[in-house]
Amino acid sequence: MKQNLIKQNLITIKNLKKSFGGINALDNCSLEIKKNKITAIIGPNGSGKSTLFHAISHLISADSGEIYLDENEISPNMPDYWIASLGIARTFQDARLFRNLTIQDHLEIALSQNDDSLLKSLFGKKENFDEKIKEILHLVGLNKPLNTLATDLSYGQRKLLDLAAAIAKPHSIMLLDEPVAGVNPVLRNEIKHILKELHKKGETIVIIEHDMNFIMDLVDYIYVFDYGAVIAEGIPKEIQDNKKVLEAYLGD
Amino acid sequence: MIEQYIMSVFIYVCIYIILTLSLNISLGYTGLINLGHIALFGIGAYSSTLLMMNLDLPFIISFLSAGIITSLFGLLLVFATKKLKGDYFALATLGFSFVIYSLLLNLVGLTRGPLGIPGIPKPSFFGITLTTTFSYLLFAIFITALCVFIIYKIVHSPFGRLLQATRDDEIGLRVLGKNTNLLKYKSMMISAFFAAIAGSLFAHYITFIDPTSFVLHEVILLLTMVIVGGIASFKGSIIAPFIIILIPELLRFLSIPSAILGPMRQIIYAFILLLILYYKPRGLFGRVDLA
Amino acid sequence: MVFTQLLINSLIIGSIYALVAAGFSLIYATNKFLHLAHGVCITVGAYLLFLLFTQLNISFPIACILTIILTSLFGLCLYLLIYRPLQKKKTSSVILLIASLGLLILFQNIIQLFFGANVRSLGYLRIEHGLTIFGAIITKLQIIIMCVAILLFIGLLFFMKKTKLGRDMRAVADNKELASIVGINPKKVAIYSFLIGSALAGVAGILIGLEQNMEPTMGTELMIKGFTGAIIGGIGTVAGAIPGSYMLGIAENFGIWYLPSGYKDAIAFILLFIFLLFKPEGLFGVVKGVKE
Repeated sequence: MKQNLIKQNLITIKNLKKSFGGINALDNCSLEIKKNKITAIIGPNGSGKSTLFHAISHLISADSGEIYLDENEISPNMPDYWIASLGIARTFQDARLFRNLTIQDHLEIALSQNDDSLLKSLFGKKENFDEKIKEILHLVGLNKPLNTLATDLSYGQRKLLDLAAAIAKPHSIMLLDEPVAGVNPVLRNEIKHILKELHKKGETIVIIEHDMNFIMDLVDYIYVFDYGAVIAEGIPKEIQDNKKVLEAYLGD
Repeated sequence: MIEQYIMSVFIYVCIYIILTLSLNISLGYTGLINLGHIALFGIGAYSSTLLMMNLDLPFIISFLSAGIITSLFGLLLVFATKKLKGDYFALATLGFSFVIYSLLLNLVGLTRGPLGIPGIPKPSFFGITLTTTFSYLLFAIFITALCVFIIYKIVHSPFGRLLQATRDDEIGLRVLGKNTNLLKYKSMMISAFFAAIAGSLFAHYITFIDPTSFVLHEVILLLTMVIVGGIASFKGSIIAPFIIILIPELLRFLSIPSAILGPMRQIIYAFILLLILYYKPRGLFGRVDLA
Repeated sequence: MVFTQLLINSLIIGSIYALVAAGFSLIYATNKFLHLAHGVCITVGAYLLFLLFTQLNISFPIACILTIILTSLFGLCLYLLIYRPLQKKKTSSVILLIASLGLLILFQNIIQLFFGANVRSLGYLRIEHGLTIFGAIITKLQIIIMCVAILLFIGLLFFMKKTKLGRDMRAVADNKELASIVGINPKKVAIYSFLIGSALAGVAGILIGLEQNMEPTMGTELMIKGFTGAIIGGIGTVAGAIPGSYMLGIAENFGIWYLPSGYKDAIAFILLFIFLLFKPEGLFGVVKGVKE
């Protein structure tokens, strides 16, 4: 029975702990991310949401606890780029782009599997991603010329390119850290639409968000964080009526 | 006589084009603030010389082996310093150049120390020996063209693009599944390989090397060339050596005594470096900032 | 007694290194970039004394005071005319480091242009017999060097701990943003750190000019020793740079007990490299700026 449950989960997290100088950023955090669903992680500022993403992608190492991808436990010593290549794509609150590279460069880097080999890169067959790039850019609605440098993009366009790169990168799950933070209402709706499209395609997505209204009609399941622990979980309807959640938000 | 002089200046230009391009691979394209490049140049010069003179290896073999030996030193340098960032990395690479300098000076059994190594044989292959300056110039141009072509291919390949991504945002690249440490190792090895080719070209041309050719003020000259041309600017790294070498050469025609010529040249280099850092930090042809 | 002699030699050269390292660290701590042209301030100090005392025949004490003041102002000019304009353009610390290397080479060669490449000496307090202490020979000048250095260190540490300006400096070193929020003017702190740091370099220049000969490249070598001392002690902590430099002096002098004397400089480079690789925060420093 328990084994079965894990099978439906893409990511299972058990008792994850991380403290920074005595402050618990993650305090015995446990949660499950179901396949083909959108899961939201909400909570006040500093409640450990981003820390969770960093711990999953091994940008920081957790003090204790276990993380499973499918049924396999991820070794805590695995380097971050290795975790990524296991199929975890992610974005950042503040889009991490390559300033001096173009939109096309970003997506080709994300799509390519063997550009880090000098010999393959020089003598191998040239990989052609044009169709895929077109498709992804159409999906996210980033209609700038392909040779636009990242540094010349607006804030919203940067967010879109970051999302596009995560989509392009071969993955089984996407971790999106506040994809609509600081974005204007029009673009906000467009991003919601993109996420719905991705949902339809059967993507597994975890999204960190501040704003309850944004996720209510978008996600399948919600975890509410406070002080690095899950204080409530459920489908959006249940969370909406949960007193503890209101307290955590209002009492802030 | 004047032809000899002009040819010799252009041989230097060739050597510095390779050197500047090779430094731009690590410093400009990959963003490794490498202040130890001159040491790699020196290791290349000494390796090629010693392999040819002590082991009687043919020129071509020594020439290429020097590249491989030096790229291993490059790997050692960047592997040892992999945890250091920014100023600390820069200081460590600067320290590396001091360490190599003092080894060249003190491993007397191998390098003859401050006496230097005279009588380095001229290159010879297929029964031809490059005894005249003109033949050496042709050889230098050929090697330089080959290096320029290969480096062009590397930096404009998908691999070269990853190097630039490493420079711009390492974490952003790692979460896309790329091993940026490995990319840095490879970048430094390629950079060191070509530095050695330049070093070897230098040693077999002037036929005498001693540790003073590989000291601090040479680092300034190299940095000036890379920065004047532009960080990660391929075109800039080819044009800048012409400008930077030819300007002080004009001093020679003003019949300035040689005791003044040396420091004057250094002053000009340092001055150009400071001016470009202030007025045009991206260099003449660059579009990338050194962060 | 070889041991006492080596120990005394270590303390003498350590004092010089520590003077260099203390100034360098003070400037690094408050400005957060590596001012490698600090080395050329030492050379400027030594040659100023040579100019004022040996060539212009100004009396020795006045020449010394002028030298310290002028070197201090020279350092300040580097800051105001070069670094400050670069900082205003939001230049990264790495560019400032490269600029400082450029300045080092620039002024070293300007000095060579005016005074020639050959070795010069001051010809003051030179010919004298050393005293013998525990079987080791030490000259009066060397005793003066150590005393001057130690007095300056005590003064500097007192200044950093007890005066308002010193506390401001430590605040800026610790957290520049926070310091400026509580009303400390970072520019003023930067100016004073260059003045004081360069004055210490001037003193080092005078002492090394008296004890040894001078040549235009002396600053580069001393600079390397100074920042090695600073790295050993923990760069950015003035109080750490001083013992770090004495340790370097000890390592060099006792090292050549075992190694050929040619390796004396190599010892410093290798120590520098080892510390950068394995203990970049130094013995007395905190981990900062090593990782992102």
